[in-house]
Amino acid sequence: MRILLVYCHPVPESFCAAVRDRAIATLTAAGHTVDLLDLYAEGFDPVMGADERRLYNEMTRADHPAPDHAERLEKAEGILFVYPTWWYGLPAMLKGWLDRVWTPEVTFAIPEGGGPVQPLMTHVRFLGVVTTCGAPWWLSFLIGQPGRKTILRGMRALCAKTCRTLYVAHYRMDSSTPESRAAYLEKIEKKLSKV
Amino acid sequence: MRVLVVHAHPMESSFNASLFRMTVARLKEKGHTVDAIDLYKEGFDPVMSHDERAAYQDTSENRKPVEDHVERLLAAEALVLVYPVWNYGYPAILKGWFDRVFLPGVSFGLVNGKVRPTLHNIRKILVVTSYGGSRVRAFLMGDPPRKLAQRMLRATVRPGASVKYLAHYSMNLSTVATRQAFMSRVEAAVDRF
Repeated sequence: MRILLVYCHPVPESFCAAVRDRAIATLTAAGHTVDLLDLYAEGFDPVMGADERRLYNEMTRADHPAPDHAERLEKAEGILFVYPTWWYGLPAMLKGWLDRVWTPEVTFAIPEGGGPVQPLMTHVRFLGVVTTCGAPWWLSFLIGQPGRKTILRGMRALCAKTCRTLYVAHYRMDSSTPESRAAYLEKIEKKLSKV
Repeated sequence: MRVLVVHAHPMESSFNASLFRMTVARLKEKGHTVDAIDLYKEGFDPVMSHDERAAYQDTSENRKPVEDHVERLLAAEALVLVYPVWNYGYPAILKGWFDRVFLPGVSFGLVNGKVRPTLHNIRKILVVTSYGGSRVRAFLMGDPPRKLAQRMLRATVRPGASVKYLAHYSMNLSTVATRQAFMSRVEAAVDRF
């Protein structure tokens, strides 16, 4: 499968980078092709401006703010997000990538006269999230895991009907140990080798 | 009351921007002291940088890049957010405001690796927002923005603070009548503030 790996962390030497590398190694070993998109390294601008917003509902490929990203999205058969959970959600950088790149015509169609949007990302059969959370798991559940739901429900609704999902998180990152981090990397390898 | 109003919409001609202007004007009329932040207008950068992330836990350093916003947040007694829901979440510019301003030593402390909310100066929250899709669809998605307001924000500010969440769903099918009705709901909520 061709997998777009969207990575978002500002610090190159962070644990998140180790997570990304393990994910790439595991997926590649399993025979998948990984297309790495590193949002911070690219200096992606997550802020949707006024002109873009004005055009949004009628946006065509010619107006797309990041045509290269749109093309890579269209080629993907699977998408894996690797990021730290901040305030129970996606870092602004990643949130803005969804807002600006997942546009109409590329990812969904707005039917004339209303009704629910029509998914256009039906070539995506796998959607995964690998993340780190400062909060403990019970608090994340209590808050309702907004970040997980934004991707695995909100964005999944634009993918294939049978699209499989995966969610792996290391909770309580602030009190993590070398052992807990190593165990987490093992868990990622185990889960991703089954994709 | 000292009210901090935070707004995040790129178009001044939008319905959302008119909700923001009405809210600010009406709060002032009612005698509140209003501090308004229009994130797009001031060109707020929502991206937490490498250096900010590296100094995140250092409570003497971490607020320096956003000192002005931190001071305004800590001076407020109430918080009002006016923004559109995009992809079942905040616009990036608002998400980044939380990422960069709600720091250790500002809105929470870390005690033995456990988070202790500290934003106890805020005792009232009002969220005014709009969704492109229907309420049913938002419900099926787990309505993340509603949960962020009613659970995350509620847990961050003074215990017992009132949290009001007003949303116009199905904006893509909205009419003058639905927008006016929503504007009136927001007006009434602002008047009771």
